Amino acid sequence: MSSKQGAKGGAAAAKAKKPTKAGAEEKREDVLQAVVIADSFQDRFKPFTLEKPRCLLPLAGVPIIEYTLEFLAHNGVQEVFIYCGAHSEEIETYIHESTRWSPRSVVSPFSSLEFIRVSDANSVGDFLRDLDKRSLIGGDFVLVYGDLVANIQLDEALAKHRARREANRDACMTMVLRSIGVEPHRASQSRVITPVFAVEPDGRCWQYEEIHPLQKEHKTLWDQNVVELPDFELRSDLIDCGIDICTPEVLALWSESFDYELPRRNFLHGVLKDHELNGKMIYTEILDRGYAARVSSLPMYNCISKDILERWTFPFVPDNNLAHGQTFKRIREGSCFEDNVPIPRGATVTKSVIGRNSKVEEGVKISRSIIGRRCKIGKNVKIEDSYIWDDATIGDDTSIVQSVLANNVVIGKGCQIPAGSLISFSVSIGDSTQLPPDPVPRISLLTYEKTLATTNPTLVGQSGKGALFLEEQDDEDDSDSEADRNPASLEKTMFYNLAHLNLSTDSISTLASHDSYDSDADNSFGSLPDSSRNVRERLSSFASDDSGLSPDAFHSDAVHGLLDALRADDSEDFDSAKLEFMGLRLANNASDSSMRRAIAVAFARRAAELLSPEHGGLEPTKSAEKTFTSKRGAIKFIREVGVGRDETNLQAEFALALQKALLGVRGLEVGRAGALLAAMLQQLYNLDVLEEDGILAWWGDSRAGENEGLTKVKEKCRVLVEWLENADEEESEEDEDEDSD
Amino acid sequence: MAPSQTIYAPSMDKLVKSLKGQTLETSIEAFIHLLKRRQVKGDECADATAHILRQVVAKSKWNDVDQLLSKVQAVGTRLARAAPHEPVIGNIVRRVMGLIRDEASEDRNADDLGSEAASDIQSLATAIAPHTQAAPPQRPGPIPFRPPPLTSVASFHVAKPKSMFNLLSVAETAESSITAASTPLSQAAPTSVHALRSEVLDGIEEIMDEISQADDQIAGFADVQICPGDYVLAYLPSRTVERFLVKAAAKRKFTVFLVSLEDPYTTTGEASHAALRKKLSSSGVKTISIASNGLMAYMTRISKVIFGAKIVYQNGGLLVDSGASVAAQAAKAHSKPVIALGGVYKFCPEDPSDEIAGEAGDSSTYVSYADGLKVDALEVENTVADYVPPELVDLYLTNLGPQTRHHLAAIMADHYKAEDVGYSFLSNE
Repeated sequence: MSSKQGAKGGAAAAKAKKPTKAGAEEKREDVLQAVVIADSFQDRFKPFTLEKPRCLLPLAGVPIIEYTLEFLAHNGVQEVFIYCGAHSEEIETYIHESTRWSPRSVVSPFSSLEFIRVSDANSVGDFLRDLDKRSLIGGDFVLVYGDLVANIQLDEALAKHRARREANRDACMTMVLRSIGVEPHRASQSRVITPVFAVEPDGRCWQYEEIHPLQKEHKTLWDQNVVELPDFELRSDLIDCGIDICTPEVLALWSESFDYELPRRNFLHGVLKDHELNGKMIYTEILDRGYAARVSSLPMYNCISKDILERWTFPFVPDNNLAHGQTFKRIREGSCFEDNVPIPRGATVTKSVIGRNSKVEEGVKISRSIIGRRCKIGKNVKIEDSYIWDDATIGDDTSIVQSVLANNVVIGKGCQIPAGSLISFSVSIGDSTQLPPDPVPRISLLTYEKTLATTNPTLVGQSGKGALFLEEQDDEDDSDSEADRNPASLEKTMFYNLAHLNLSTDSISTLASHDSYDSDADNSFGSLPDSSRNVRERLSSFASDDSGLSPDAFHSDAVHGLLDALRADDSEDFDSAKLEFMGLRLANNASDSSMRRAIAVAFARRAAELLSPEHGGLEPTKSAEKTFTSKRGAIKFIREVGVGRDETNLQAEFALALQKALLGVRGLEVGRAGALLAAMLQQLYNLDVLEEDGILAWWGDSRAGENEGLTKVKEKCRVLVEWLENADEEESEEDEDEDSD
Repeated sequence: MAPSQTIYAPSMDKLVKSLKGQTLETSIEAFIHLLKRRQVKGDECADATAHILRQVVAKSKWNDVDQLLSKVQAVGTRLARAAPHEPVIGNIVRRVMGLIRDEASEDRNADDLGSEAASDIQSLATAIAPHTQAAPPQRPGPIPFRPPPLTSVASFHVAKPKSMFNLLSVAETAESSITAASTPLSQAAPTSVHALRSEVLDGIEEIMDEISQADDQIAGFADVQICPGDYVLAYLPSRTVERFLVKAAAKRKFTVFLVSLEDPYTTTGEASHAALRKKLSSSGVKTISIASNGLMAYMTRISKVIFGAKIVYQNGGLLVDSGASVAAQAAKAHSKPVIALGGVYKFCPEDPSDEIAGEAGDSSTYVSYADGLKVDALEVENTVADYVPPELVDLYLTNLGPQTRHHLAAIMADHYKAEDVGYSFLSNE
């Protein structure tokens, strides 16, 4: 039954799809499909990712993608599609040579595993649009990244997703999120961008925002729709592990929006913003058990490595030997050693992992570190909180703190490697070198353009090889300008420090401000009953802030766009103006009230314009009629977008907006404005946009008469209102008469 | 069935269902990863191992007994190394190897010994009951034969096991069937690989039957072990213990002190114990829940302590759920009897090793990962299993009846071959 429904949903989303798809879907209903995005289009792991893709970097001795695939196997996924971008050949080779995952291997837990190459992809969005074209996906599928480490069971989330999708086919996506509590947590400290979700108690997500410490304005805007929900939570205490359970409609949505690149900042934000237009609903599944995180940056690499050492990721821990050929054994003091790791007397190893055939000399102290295979560690070496990959050689008396050393690195005797150092593949550092702690050393043999860098002997010593790795310099110059600084710059080091950035973090939350003409915005935000609103974590200041929005780019653009459309003589159609308006609204993240205001202002100006002699000097009634009826679709546009839902208070809001807008039209005297308002209201009443309840509610609203100008304008409408009231009475009298008959 | 109930997570049931269609290697690897991901654990492991070994015998190519043995041993070693925390896998592998050796020796000797030997065995079978030192048919040596038709598979009643012990302790009509060892008993001498294969497969089926029925058989002794008015302490009751208590509740009025994990994060553990409480109270048995740290205070009132053993070692020590050894110590301090429940298949012919008892589990069992301060500050060590030394255990209640420590060696010898006992699956030669 549900398969039929699902097919219907899919067909609605993309009618052009072949009819055979429904049959295929039915057949595949019990096969779980997963899509792995193995390229992140980021360069947070440079310089390491110059030579190896992120998902093949070792995490506790195992390439990260192993964790992802094992997670999928853990959840009974049958068909896997992997999208690779950079280094795609290397990933394909790795998988094909792996005894466990190779599609040819009989022991693979997946019935199929396919690589999909997209030659011109520049973002995750390009991958998903490509996937939509291929019609590979039969039903619900799991979308993950190639850097996921998780041990959760998705069955429950999948079942809930399916139940919601069956109840309402617009519930198209479920995001799996892990709550990490309100206390300071190393996982929340390791991320730069904090996602904030506005979530209803049933899990429906209404709005998504991102905050990061480099924002120019420390606040986020919350939509009117969100604020008006009876009960919701703003959650910034969630790890977004990037596991999305999607219906095929999600891919159709991606295809509709060709400019979406990022699954969260663009896609999620956009689809939620637009939910009134597309009707789609996105849900969250917030887990408070299990482990799920993405190795999305170096700080997260550090955090997840620690979690693995401390067994939060169980059963994905070294001594479980999930990867092929591993033979780790857990020994005392929380360390895990593979075969043939002799620890001499006098060497201390605590809470660390050491790979096969690594040689540790006397007097070595290793704590909370992960050391790969075949490493040679000289006498009296001190290693703390560091990650050393395979085949590294470290000379006697060297000390290494909080650093990452890639494969084949050679460190001479008596060196000091300071915290945060990233030493890339095959770099060698001469004897007695002390790397400077600032800037944080990132040493690589290659430059940004992947050419061989010239060795810098002052940095790496006379016998060393390698140079400081520098970023591309093109967009550095405007970093101090007004624009938000890019948070990505913080994610490129393992331990970022915000102290020198001089940031204020007092308030990072603001609700959508009311319109600028609404100088004393209604106090409903301030007076929210605390019991029904739960504000999590740092979102402590939760008051409305009106000053924040003063240069309202949206307003002027929108008004001009609409006015142009209304003035245009050549076209009868209003649809393109509507489309443009919705686009603007999305781009600017505009609230319902600012839309209403823009629409009111545009129509008021047009009507006022028609009164003036150069446009014909029409009477107010004629002018109002011409304004609203000359363009097809204009009335529909006001009804749907300007007023919104069919509710009395929204109609009153629109009338109020119109009143204020008319008052604000330059060169229009108050008396004329009042007459025009009455004419426009009557016209809207006749056109069924406003009902008499709406107009009466506006009449009764104290805001409509709060200053002299407004009162004067309002007075002019008394006739209309009285007529409405009388009509009402007459009607009811008639009703009574009829009743009495 | 509505598809919203579809469960995608792999499990042993799914694997067993798909065994037929898969190649042997696929099944083995799938099982190994189920073990590693802890999607198969505890009592399920034994049954699952038997299923896999059955596939090894059925599907792999072998021409003689030695090849078969080395194949089984190789697969068994892989399985045992994949899950060093589940020694029961090794037990099953040894059982199957012993079974193969038996069948093979029957073959070899079938021609030499005629019906004379068969009647010898028959008399031996009837003679077993009165003799304390039961002659194990597996004993390497002069008696290679199995009893004749009266104990053929068809007439084999596993549901009512008889041994010398329950002959003494349970007042039921005794039949002279040998059930102590559940290896197949057949008079037909297999003359070919084909015949041997089917014999061994039958034998493995028997082992699987034994595993699945062990809990019920143990529960059959419940009314003997539990007296009216007893105060029984059940520490983290396993499935075996739950059945035992429910069976006892049907006949006896007693009180159960239930120690369950005080873990706000475990929802599944709570639910299963809740079901047990319900069943017990419906038959009029009172349950009292106590916290594990308050154990000692209740010990004076308790008359029996019951554990489900994960493994019974050859020295009589037990591998139990973590925390249970504290309960055993407390019982010892108050001189209260400790009864360990466990099927014979859990008897491990090895000595306990540190490595297994020290197996560490998931840190988030006791501390939530959402508790940031604790995650940073604490080192959570979650040992999954505890070792209970033999002197703390008073009685071993198996599917063959109650045993004391001194008879464990005999049971081990009954069920395992000397050749297999010496082989360690975990050591890296």
